[in-house]
Amino acid sequence: MKLRVHLQCKNLHEYLRELSPEILDRLYNHPATCLAVYRDLPSLAKNYVMRMLFLDQPLPQAALALWVKIDSQKDHDECVSVLTGLRLWHSQQLQGGLQGYILNPVFKDNLRIALLGGGKAWADEGSSLGPDRHARDIESLDRYAIERWEVILHFMVGSPCAAVSQDLAQLLVQAGLMKSEAGEAPYITSAGFQFLLLDTASQLWYFTLQYLKTAQSRGMELVEILSFLFQLSFSTLGRDYSVEGMSESLLTFLQHLREFGLVFQRKRKSRRYYPTRLAITLAAGVTTNTGFIVVETNYRIYAYTDSELQIALVALFSEMLYRFPNVVVAQVTRESVQQAIANGITAQQVLNYCTHNVLLWTPVLPPTITDQIRLWELERDRLRFSEGVLYNQFLSQVDFEVLRDRAQGLGCLVWQDAAHRVMVVSPQGHSEVKRFWKRQKSST
Amino acid sequence: MVNVHKGVLVECDPAMKQFLLYLDEKMALGKKFILKDLDDTHLFILAEVVQTLQERVGELMDQNSFTVTQK
Repeated sequence: MKLRVHLQCKNLHEYLRELSPEILDRLYNHPATCLAVYRDLPSLAKNYVMRMLFLDQPLPQAALALWVKIDSQKDHDECVSVLTGLRLWHSQQLQGGLQGYILNPVFKDNLRIALLGGGKAWADEGSSLGPDRHARDIESLDRYAIERWEVILHFMVGSPCAAVSQDLAQLLVQAGLMKSEAGEAPYITSAGFQFLLLDTASQLWYFTLQYLKTAQSRGMELVEILSFLFQLSFSTLGRDYSVEGMSESLLTFLQHLREFGLVFQRKRKSRRYYPTRLAITLAAGVTTNTGFIVVETNYRIYAYTDSELQIALVALFSEMLYRFPNVVVAQVTRESVQQAIANGITAQQVLNYCTHNVLLWTPVLPPTITDQIRLWELERDRLRFSEGVLYNQFLSQVDFEVLRDRAQGLGCLVWQDAAHRVMVVSPQGHSEVKRFWKRQKSST
Repeated sequence: MVNVHKGVLVECDPAMKQFLLYLDEKMALGKKFILKDLDDTHLFILAEVVQTLQERVGELMDQNSFTVTQK
């Protein structure tokens, strides 16, 4: 009875919803955050926010309901729940006694600043430092970012050439992606395997969220870090920014970002930094697809790549056949897929990885292959086990029904057969049901 | 008096259930492990044989499969 851990990739909104209201309110104090949150809202919600941005009084709920047609009521309700969950607005009673909605004043002011200008400059442009003698162009920034990120992934796969700092290794262990026995090097877990097969944007998000969770335990200011992260996502690629005015914890955060490949700094003490493409796509959530895999109906995979990491990832679920300087030929077999599943990867993840990385002129995976991979996964699930306690040989139908209803009320009834008066209760509920039964017997 | 047994509830399709009944009858696991036959798709078995049962089912699936492709 194995527990399969499913990797949950939360997005920005889900993460923000989990934060406490005080932290959220402090977060909205920065225009960059408000703009980033606004950008991710569904379009109907964006419309609502825009309409209410310049209102100083609450708007009656009835008026709000008039904005949508009757058949779009579901979208309207969804919008209302999204906006309430993020604390972008709250209901307030109007003078006439009706209920109305008003935008969160902090959010309102800062969004206005973000859209119309004014307020403090978000990031200090490097103009005070003069032109950079060692300027980096966009291409080299991209290369740097990908190289750094791949070092982390290589370290997870266990390539001997990859070495990361102690801090980063610990973060990976805390995130549940790797496990470390006492004194030995960490090795990858099944959640780690699933993480490897995600696309880069989801990987970045998952990683950043894990980092933010541990940030408080390191003594770093969550609000400061988050605001800085959003600021970064609005910066221009290829432009350098100065580290003037950044606090201690922000500087430490910058060093960590440098290790992940989100910013580039020539030296640790450099006073300027360049955001890379990874940082900018982090909050924007847009991904570019440079595919390299072709999946054929004879179960062969051709991967047009020479990157060690990509080859290692394809080898996770297929058998390598031939290797050329620019192509790798692999075959998807029952053994290789079941080996991947034994490692904790689901068939859906393998298929997502292939679909995401497919070469553009064959945009669809052959249905035979997708079905077969799923069937190979289901083969292992032919038996479903659940622990339980069997009750049978009841003296009367009434006894059976009383006990059955009690178990159902407790939520621990696993299976029942009324015709034969047999039922199965989960082990957790068993003691409670047994006590109930004894009370019943003694009272009758 | 109500009878109480501790064990594991198994849910499967009817074909797999017949296979489990066969294993039980032939004492393939060294002992009888089915405590109660509940209905077409459910059985109640001993808790300790779960691992070996998974292995046996795996072996059965291996016997019935063949390599689809040629290398």
